[in-house]
Amino acid sequence: MIATEIESTSTPGPEAGYQVKLQVFEGPLDLLLFLIKKKKIDIRDIPIAVITREYLDYLSRKERLNLDREAEFLLMAALLIHIKSQMLLPREQPLEPDIDPRKELVDRLVDFQKIKAASTLLREKEDEMSHIWKRTVLTAPLPEEDLDLIEVSLFDLAESFFTLMKRKQSENQRVIKGKEISMADKMNEIVAVLRARGVLDFLDYLDAQETLEEALISFFCLLELIKARLIVAIQEQLFHTIKVWPRKDAAPA
Amino acid sequence: MDNLKEIIEALIFISVEPLTAEKMKEVLTDVPEPDIAQALQELVTRYESADGAIRIIQTAGGYVFSTKPAYDPYVRRLLQIERKKKLSSQALETLSAVAYHQPVTQSEISAIRSVDSTYALHTLLENKLIKIVGRKEAPGRPLLYRTTEKFLTYFGLNAIEDLPSEEELRKLMQEENS
Repeated sequence: MIATEIESTSTPGPEAGYQVKLQVFEGPLDLLLFLIKKKKIDIRDIPIAVITREYLDYLSRKERLNLDREAEFLLMAALLIHIKSQMLLPREQPLEPDIDPRKELVDRLVDFQKIKAASTLLREKEDEMSHIWKRTVLTAPLPEEDLDLIEVSLFDLAESFFTLMKRKQSENQRVIKGKEISMADKMNEIVAVLRARGVLDFLDYLDAQETLEEALISFFCLLELIKARLIVAIQEQLFHTIKVWPRKDAAPA
Repeated sequence: MDNLKEIIEALIFISVEPLTAEKMKEVLTDVPEPDIAQALQELVTRYESADGAIRIIQTAGGYVFSTKPAYDPYVRRLLQIERKKKLSSQALETLSAVAYHQPVTQSEISAIRSVDSTYALHTLLENKLIKIVGRKEAPGRPLLYRTTEKFLTYFGLNAIEDLPSEEELRKLMQEENS
């Protein structure tokens, strides 16, 4: 993902102040569409040379990108150059419109543009719906007065975790291709799940993780979140499962 | 039946999930269908035009009570919710791609967006906005995804046909291009 500063406007107004708008390009098609719009180019008749130069300029101006994403951006650059070379090749007959080497790219761009338009409209609907409440949203809040609740210690958590590890190990799973999971992603995921469901069963959640490694990371994330006092782990009764709740007094993220 | 509207009102009231017209018919076996439809319509209109804070919305093929937008700040205060969580732009884009191309595979979505969409799909699955509906009969037998009923309720759509039409999309694209 690369970001560029599109416009920085100092909108006059009492509280508006100085605003910087950041345009984020999610992918190569996104960037291409932006360049096409900027150059006021007709999407059906793209001057490939111009757009390729713009595109490569853009890439070289950006310093290090995320490597995964860089590959995607470079793939598009290669495609653009390929199309250009196709158009330069001498031919005995002029190209017919339906075998224009640009056609596939144009179709993809138009389709992508459609998806972007749909996203915009869905975002409006999401916004409308966000002000409307149904009775379903009331999830059980953390029972406060209930004194039977036992806030569990690290050892209780660790013990349940080791039980789970043993169980997982016996499944004799083999990971063929590991996937990279970052703590930050996992924590966000946990917070998101808690927001959506209100409560989470500690063991079930770890058990639902695909791999041992992912379960491990989830465990650390849970500990980290407990330490940061964003969530609280509670055992409703002795020998019952441990549940995790978002802390009420936690500052909203 | 004189109090048909009130009966339907009671049925919708006790339903936490959107109540479908079919379900109403099951309860009101001896009432002709057009009568139910008409009573429903009148009921919806009555709530809409009344001063109250409640309305009936049609979503995911059924009817359900909801608050009117004006009361959003107070409801949020009660629920201690700062702001409703919104989908990230990546997730939303991925979701639109699924909605318009379903049933669709991960690699097809990634091709449409020109960006690897594995993670975004994972998030959407977790939020139950999409579901796995099977495998495609293609090399590797990749998983196929579709939008869920929760997707419809989330965006306040009654059916998948209510997605913005080709024309609406084209209009928006033209506006943006000019």
